[in-house]
Amino acid sequence: MKSGAWRMWFGRRWLLVGVVLIFAWCVGRLGTEVFSHTAGSDPLASTLRFFGAAFSPSFTDQNPNLPENATPFLTRLGGDLLRTLRYALIATSMAIPAGLLLGFFASKQGWPIGRARFLFQLVRWPVRVFLSLIRSIHELIWAIFFLSAFGDFPLTACLALALPFTGTLAKVFSEIMDEERNSARQVIMASGGSGAQGFFGAVLPAALPDMITYSLYRFECALRSSAVLGFIGIETIGLSIMQSFESTYYGEVWTALYVLIITILLIEGFGYFIRKRLSAGVARRDAVKGEVTEEKLRKTAPKDRTLRFSGLLWAVAIVVAFQTGDRLIKPMAEGQQEARLSRFWTKISPDPIAPEKAVSTWDERKEVWNAGSDQLLPWVQDIWESPGAEALANTVAMSVAAIILAGVVALVLVPFSLRTLSSRFPLGLETPGGRMIRVLGVVVRGGFVVTRAVPEYLYAFLLVGLMGPSAWPLVFALVLHNVGILGRLWTEVGENQPPQNARAVIQVGGGRLQAFYAALLPLSLNRFLLFFFYRWESCMREATVLGMLGFSSLGYYISIRKSFREYDEILFFSLLGASVIIVGDIVSDALRKQLRSA
Amino acid sequence: MSALSVSDLSQDFGATRALSRVAFDIAPGEQVALIGASGSGKTSLLKLLGLQHKPTSGSVSVLGCDLSNASAKELRKTRSRVGMLPQDLGLVPNLRVVQNIILGRSGQRRLPGTLRDLIWPKKEVREEIFKTLDRMGVAEKMYDRTDSLSGGQQQRVALSRTLFQGAEVLLADEPLSAVDPARARDVLKLLTGLSQENGSTLVVSLHQVGLAREFFARVIGLKNGEVVFDGQPNDEELAGLYEV
Repeated sequence: MKSGAWRMWFGRRWLLVGVVLIFAWCVGRLGTEVFSHTAGSDPLASTLRFFGAAFSPSFTDQNPNLPENATPFLTRLGGDLLRTLRYALIATSMAIPAGLLLGFFASKQGWPIGRARFLFQLVRWPVRVFLSLIRSIHELIWAIFFLSAFGDFPLTACLALALPFTGTLAKVFSEIMDEERNSARQVIMASGGSGAQGFFGAVLPAALPDMITYSLYRFECALRSSAVLGFIGIETIGLSIMQSFESTYYGEVWTALYVLIITILLIEGFGYFIRKRLSAGVARRDAVKGEVTEEKLRKTAPKDRTLRFSGLLWAVAIVVAFQTGDRLIKPMAEGQQEARLSRFWTKISPDPIAPEKAVSTWDERKEVWNAGSDQLLPWVQDIWESPGAEALANTVAMSVAAIILAGVVALVLVPFSLRTLSSRFPLGLETPGGRMIRVLGVVVRGGFVVTRAVPEYLYAFLLVGLMGPSAWPLVFALVLHNVGILGRLWTEVGENQPPQNARAVIQVGGGRLQAFYAALLPLSLNRFLLFFFYRWESCMREATVLGMLGFSSLGYYISIRKSFREYDEILFFSLLGASVIIVGDIVSDALRKQLRSA
Repeated sequence: MSALSVSDLSQDFGATRALSRVAFDIAPGEQVALIGASGSGKTSLLKLLGLQHKPTSGSVSVLGCDLSNASAKELRKTRSRVGMLPQDLGLVPNLRVVQNIILGRSGQRRLPGTLRDLIWPKKEVREEIFKTLDRMGVAEKMYDRTDSLSGGQQQRVALSRTLFQGAEVLLADEPLSAVDPARARDVLKLLTGLSQENGSTLVVSLHQVGLAREFFARVIGLKNGEVVFDGQPNDEELAGLYEV
């Protein structure tokens, strides 16, 4: 091949070649051992037994040794589910107002004109960095810190969820507001209104429906995360699943899984219902009879009672969540909380500057700082060299391998999930046959819904149990969850594309798959990549904690240090993961902007 | 005194010159059409007349307020007397009609007042809005969501907003861009009729040369950012306006 032709070939296929090379690097790092069982175990039998139990979920306790007066299984499961819901609800209700406030400062839309604008510019970047940091650290790690700092209270779980969710909500709220390009704000300012009037009068009302629907989605995420908190001992449905699985009561595991999936599906359905109502609005049913007056019009104004009732229900649920169940904070003896916080502060202080006494005064800490601050850099260097750098590389490899696999699987499945293609009239053209494709469409769409309902950590826990501890069960866990999400997002993108090009392919005798890969995919590629990068960030965040289940990534070392209560090193590993996510965030933000304008 | 006065006005956007040495006066209550091909500088000129930003050079004076040396307070006060009607009407789609109208007076209220009116408008305010909408023929839509209205009804709502604002100058940027030819005449009748009734100054940018000549005694032609005629144009001048 001549050098020019080679350049052309490579230039056109750089993306594909790059992806293959990157995936090969990931496999090189993670190894090829997919199953890693200890001698004497029978993985096939336990896998068959586990999946066999899916058809016979248990409604009673499987443990034959429980005392007679023990709380029945279903009652226990109900209690765990309510606690899971409670933590998610309280956390979301704290994160939404905080996210709104911080999102306002992170956005440019509400900025005043004139000198005060400079102050807002000064505030914007510190706010954005703070938001990046709090959302880059996983809720499980926040929970580990808070459990140590404040003790095992319901509020600890709620705060661990609320903090990263505030970061995510604020980021997304600010993006929604910044993308709200309605000229109503310009009209308000052109008629003498201030930036704040433009924001509250035009930007916020126009952005509100998107913000509400996103908040509902975050509640769904909070529910999944709340369940995952069970894996570090917080009493949510995750804890029941973990205990039942470890005791090989697979029937109980499946019952709990079904309950969790159904709850998440119900919330997703509720979110879809609210989104539809918010975008459609309510039309006036009947014209005003007789003379039209302002009063008559006001009294008969179209009102969405269902939406109002839903809002009221939401508010009541929040109040109930705060008021019922275990007290959010349990009272401690005088000085106990301060001592606990001081102990935590000592444990989280890097080793060279940590005081010998766990409970120390400010002056003692200052003294230790003066003596040990020059040892800080060598301390960082030591952990970075072993095992920081390797753990970080493994975590990145896990997240990249997972998102590439998820992308490939989603790309294969999406043509079947598109309602516009998997019908008897693909894109409006009557096409003979296709019954199989229609059935497949329903199955694939249903599969997307179910796979994304289960959190990655839960998949990982079950897969490690069945396949043994290696990187691949963790990667497959990320793949399973992300195929569901990418599948849904890409399906929406594909269905919203103008149909002409794809229709032309079918018109000339092409099939549905040809219409997708030859016409719809090239049209949608930019938006597909946009969501691909967005999900990679999320994979990286999850990969950081999945290592806690037994692969030498950041999570693995976090888990080991947790056993020794070495919170300073946990913080180091967490910040290492967070720094990659922040860099990835900046890169994918830039890529997204470029793709949007392309 | 002129309602709008422009002298030696130039506007650059990077290396592109959008307006070049533009000069004219518009008397109070006068109705003027701005015509020219796309990119001739009509929207840039309207934005400068709306005191939205400072020109590269030259001066703009609106209702006695000179943009070059006006204080922030003066600027805000003058802007509150100028109504803007952008191409996409500038309405918040998911607010009720009454709330969109209320936003017309943002320049005369502070933030708490605007928020209060948006959430609980006083009876007098509601009555005034009802009368304004009634005058425009869309009173029965007062409490409907704005995006549930037809394009024509939304245009009337946007006009009602400038009426409620009490604008002494109305600047309309291509109000016929999304209107079918049959309705274009009605829209111009409405705009010029309102301006006549209220004695307000009207500047409208248009592409429809015939309608501009029919409805406006004064037509300003723009080509490549320069004024090529000002008055009632003849056929030759109009042909030159769209020559590439």
